[in-house]
Amino acid sequence: MTADLIPLSKSAIIKDIANSPLKINLMELGFLPGKTITLQHIAPMNGPMAFRLDETILALRKTEAALLDVQIL
Amino acid sequence: MSEPTQTPLVKPLKIAIIGNPNVGKSTIFNQLTGLNQKIGNYPGVTVDKKTGVMTHQGSTYEIIDLPGTYSLYPNSEDEIIAHRVLNQLSEVERPDYVLMVVDSLQVSRGLFLASQLIDLGLNLALVLNMADMAEKQRLEIKGYELFKSLGVPILSTDARGAKGIEQIRELIHQKNFSKSSEFLSVSEYLDTQILSDVKEKFEVKNDYQAYQILRFGLKDKGLSQEKRDWIANKLKSIHVDLPAAQLEETKLRYRKITGIIEKALNKKEIKERRSSAIDKIILHPVFGYLIFAAILLVMFQAIFAWASVPMDLIDGFFADLGAWVSTSLPDGPLTSLLADGIIPGIGGVVIFIPQIAMLFGFLAILEDTGYMSRVVFLMDRWMRPFGLHGKSIVPLVSGVACAIPGVMAARNIGNWKEKIITIMVTPLMSCSARLPVYIILIGLVVPNETVLGFVNMQALALLALYLLGVVGVLVTAFGLKNILKTAEKSFLMVELPSYRTPRWKDVVITMYNKSKTFVTEAGKVILAISVILWVLGSYGPPSKMDEIRAASELRLAEVNSDEEIETIEAETSSLLLENSFIGIMGRAIEPAIRPLGYDWKIGIALITSFAAREVFVSTIATIYSIGGDPEDDSTIREKLDSQINPVTGDKVFNKATAFSLMVFYAFAMQCMSTLAVVYRETKGWKWPLIQTVYMTVLAYVSALITYQIFS
Repeated sequence: MTADLIPLSKSAIIKDIANSPLKINLMELGFLPGKTITLQHIAPMNGPMAFRLDETILALRKTEAALLDVQIL
Repeated sequence: MSEPTQTPLVKPLKIAIIGNPNVGKSTIFNQLTGLNQKIGNYPGVTVDKKTGVMTHQGSTYEIIDLPGTYSLYPNSEDEIIAHRVLNQLSEVERPDYVLMVVDSLQVSRGLFLASQLIDLGLNLALVLNMADMAEKQRLEIKGYELFKSLGVPILSTDARGAKGIEQIRELIHQKNFSKSSEFLSVSEYLDTQILSDVKEKFEVKNDYQAYQILRFGLKDKGLSQEKRDWIANKLKSIHVDLPAAQLEETKLRYRKITGIIEKALNKKEIKERRSSAIDKIILHPVFGYLIFAAILLVMFQAIFAWASVPMDLIDGFFADLGAWVSTSLPDGPLTSLLADGIIPGIGGVVIFIPQIAMLFGFLAILEDTGYMSRVVFLMDRWMRPFGLHGKSIVPLVSGVACAIPGVMAARNIGNWKEKIITIMVTPLMSCSARLPVYIILIGLVVPNETVLGFVNMQALALLALYLLGVVGVLVTAFGLKNILKTAEKSFLMVELPSYRTPRWKDVVITMYNKSKTFVTEAGKVILAISVILWVLGSYGPPSKMDEIRAASELRLAEVNSDEEIETIEAETSSLLLENSFIGIMGRAIEPAIRPLGYDWKIGIALITSFAAREVFVSTIATIYSIGGDPEDDSTIREKLDSQINPVTGDKVFNKATAFSLMVFYAFAMQCMSTLAVVYRETKGWKWPLIQTVYMTVLAYVSALITYQIFS
């Protein structure tokens, strides 16, 4: 499944990142295969999602989160 | 100064400061340089070039504060600058040493950029900032392990508490930077043979630099056309998938960094951050928005209440100065130019400083506490359908006080299309300069009564005008979204940093720098337009003007009472304005504005108030020869209310005309300062011209419709 489907406050491990011009942007922020992300907040009406990655909180739009192929822990 | 000052024979050494966003880079820069800063421009982009001078034990150093970036991959204009400076592609900005700031809680992300800098062969030192935060999180960083793996000097600081700043000065003074050996060899992800002629062409020795130039050189418009053509040709001739190599590079880099982190970092326990508890409220689907609305309310209340005091003082000071100049200097065109053209022109620039400074002060506090990125998170969803970005909320909100800081704040938006749309619509928000116009007109035609028990009609009318501005913003943005084309993909990737108390020194420096930028860059344009308007308003066909003056002298000779003199003087200035070039222009446009319900007198006020909307009130006061105190609203209101149209016998300022005027001012550009700032931010006259034409047409059509409805 992809990261936009992670339920609130659940964690998942990143398996792969889909090919996209944004792939490199995600990777430089630290979204890398093997990393664990936890969904902390969702803005209303399918708004952006805030994930915890290591010690930081990073916000992505759903479309960007959908680029992350993950497995729920 | 105890040491003898020597004339420097060589230029001071240049030290560039670089780091990820939100790592306290600018705080370090501010601590090192104080107010000894200069804001300039990089050629070809709108990014501010921040440089400062640091003196330490009699030596001076030039410090360059580069925009924050996560990597050397240039996605935004900010990152192109980092790319250009660090690849030493620009002769002028080539740094001798690079100081890289790393967040102690984000070491691996910081090391990603640091490892790229190492591979560029730069003379480097690392600063592990926010050491106190790491300690609180019980995170142990073994500096020596890091040093062993990276091979560059490492320093630990806490810039907020100003700890370690002295060591940074000392480090710079001792030139304690070093070049390390390659972190990741280019050959691990790319056939380096293709780089040999890049190295020759650009005279670089290093593989990584050559690869960076080949991969990203075309993004840098600062590079010469000849070099860009060369890169384009080279890219065509090689059959290597460079984007794939870049992905591979990223993966390999992070893999190596993870290995280093395992050895150098010791996490004892992870505490739930205080920030996540706060975020449960701040990012709440309901309370989050209520809190945002409350913060805005407090902010505007404060700006309107506090900024008006210095603004009145500035206004009074320049009025007095102009009056003093015109009475104490001999009469003549030069005195008039000074008293009625240049002094009010400078006053017109300075008057904005309180609002700009305060707005940027508030924005800096919101930014610094970490709140601003939460707002971006909350608002992005609501902005997107209109072609705007979550980050557009800052300019739009600022626009309620003043469009100038709003347009200036739009530069944080990375995507070109979203930035242009934001700049185009921000002046449609109802700014504070529209208030005097609205208040006079509403006072004329809307009864001061309450309906439904508690709703004041006048307040309701004012609210309607503010909402009209918002509607104008959304409709225009939506239209532009469908017109403008860009290949750039819109995205939102924003860090929600930990909440912190703001650093007051940084807030003050931001306020100072933003005001200074406005005065020095937009001031020139504003002053020029003021002088042109002065020429048009004080000169007319000489024979006619002399005739008016002579007639006035004759009348003045016959009267004695102060009151009569005042009346004659007011009538004379009204006549002079009527017959000046602006007056002639006002008459000339009358056929065009007749359908909106305006006569030529209002036409004159429309032209003069192109300088700034509030000028409408003073021009109207002059042209209807309202003597006495022009600041006194009630005098103006009574006088205007008594104006009768000689043709129809109706009031000039009837409901239809007044509403039509309000709508016109809601949409028309009518602000040369905004124009000047848009010119600066878009680097050309194209967008400010399109914007002025668009807003004028929108204002005209809407006013026309309004007049037809109410008449």
